Amino acid sequence: MEQVKVILADNEIPRQWYNILPDMPTPMHPPLHPGTGKPVEPQDLAAVFPMNLIEQEVSTQSWIDIPEAVLEKYLLWRPTPLCRARNFEKLLDAPVKIYYKNEGVSAPGSHKPNTAIPQAYYNKVFGIRRISTETGAGQWGSALSMACRMFGLQCRVFMVRISYDQKPYRRMMMSTWGAECIPSPSDFTRAGRRILSDDPESPGSLGIAISEAIEDAVGDEKARYSLGSVLNHVLLHQTIIGLEAHRQFEKIGEYPDVVMGCAGGGSNFAGLSLPFVRDKIHGREVSIIAAEPASCPTLTRGPFAYDFGDTAMTTPLLPMHTLGHGFIPASIHAGGLRYHGMAPIVSHLVKEGIVQAQAYDQIETFTAGLKWAQSEGFIPAPETNHVIAAVVREAELARQEGTEKVILFNWSGHGIIDLPAYDAFLSGKLTQHALTDEEIREALKSIEGYPKP
Amino acid sequence: MGTDGILERLCLRCPRLGGEVPLVYCLKEGGDLPCRRIVICWQPYFPVEACLKARLSPRQWEEYLNDQPKEKIVTLVELAEEAGKRLEQD
Repeated sequence: MEQVKVILADNEIPRQWYNILPDMPTPMHPPLHPGTGKPVEPQDLAAVFPMNLIEQEVSTQSWIDIPEAVLEKYLLWRPTPLCRARNFEKLLDAPVKIYYKNEGVSAPGSHKPNTAIPQAYYNKVFGIRRISTETGAGQWGSALSMACRMFGLQCRVFMVRISYDQKPYRRMMMSTWGAECIPSPSDFTRAGRRILSDDPESPGSLGIAISEAIEDAVGDEKARYSLGSVLNHVLLHQTIIGLEAHRQFEKIGEYPDVVMGCAGGGSNFAGLSLPFVRDKIHGREVSIIAAEPASCPTLTRGPFAYDFGDTAMTTPLLPMHTLGHGFIPASIHAGGLRYHGMAPIVSHLVKEGIVQAQAYDQIETFTAGLKWAQSEGFIPAPETNHVIAAVVREAELARQEGTEKVILFNWSGHGIIDLPAYDAFLSGKLTQHALTDEEIREALKSIEGYPKP
Repeated sequence: MGTDGILERLCLRCPRLGGEVPLVYCLKEGGDLPCRRIVICWQPYFPVEACLKARLSPRQWEEYLNDQPKEKIVTLVELAEEAGKRLEQD
């Protein structure tokens, strides 16, 4: 019988998180206070985070002990299994061994509680009674709700209104775990009331929700704010994933040639990859790939980029050139990719050439996710599909090159609560093709009067 | 404002929210401004870049494109200070 899972016993769980900052080949620039122009000081964040987390945010220690109280909670689902995707390998028919860390086994169904639990713990020991946060579809909000309940803290989640209406099951999870889930904009805060006075039907945004969560925390000295990605202390906590994977590979005498993760804010990617990045910095040969979401043109219609002959938009639409998979408009290179809110640590590693970023379109990602679900059984979170698409591409590369590769990726979460996304894809509701000329004319007419940049 | 029909029908999965959103949402996500990702998300399907660009002067378009996003820590510091001022107003 071929082995599928590599399991660590409870007492084999790593007892320290790994902080990559001291090992960076070049130091990262500190963020500058907008008012003074000087590096942000810990005190500048004291109303937002408890000081023990601020200390982690700026720590220069390579290894930070995981508190026993955190380990106790981690053991509810950790160490997570390292699995061999033998069925997916057969489907891809390429010279690859595909291993993945299954982070979907946690109660909220993703990697998010790896940081929610320690954040709740550190707030508790600091004397905080309530944590506020914002959430879009609810992955982060639900993980924090669970973590707060486990440490006896109140939790208030400002959920973007459009998501609050679309994702009832995630907000039900939050309520089940005892949190308050509030659609944002709300009349709980001055920030929310201002938005509602201008537009009572506002669908909300992450920007509005974060303003509400911060105001809610700052207004109460026994409350603080919490964030599920991007920041150094969040990535630190997530390294439990890669540290476990390291030990699991040692057990079977293997080491990955390629380490991959999907990267939105960067925390699950960093969690898996940073312990391997450490090896790479110290001379080990390993490719580290972050799979990002981006829209790429399809080849089904031979889409064109359009431009106008005059600014009044009275000339016919002029097809400029055919877009292929490799085409990215110059303005995207110039500005678009900056706005995806990637963790500074991950951005720095990409700039250093240690990590490579690859963009994947939603059609390619959902197609890969379906292949996975239909071979391995588990239905991935739509975000996870980005790295599965990357695995498919890497396997194809291995086949073309005729080289054997060991691939490790982070299966960051399950998609059971997000099945409407699959339904939207399967029923063709997600925009898949470039529009017809007629549709473009209709859309352009409709777009008049919308906000201008 | 024009009809919302097609702008409501065109949908993508928003990588920031983690859910499906219509183009009409992206056009107003920033309140007075579209979402900063609108070009990278929508351009292959709809000439949103050309459309937004056509409504601005070249200088305004360059300013919009080149406006550097702030680091999260900086955003948090600013939001905390703004929140503090709002709370003092009462």
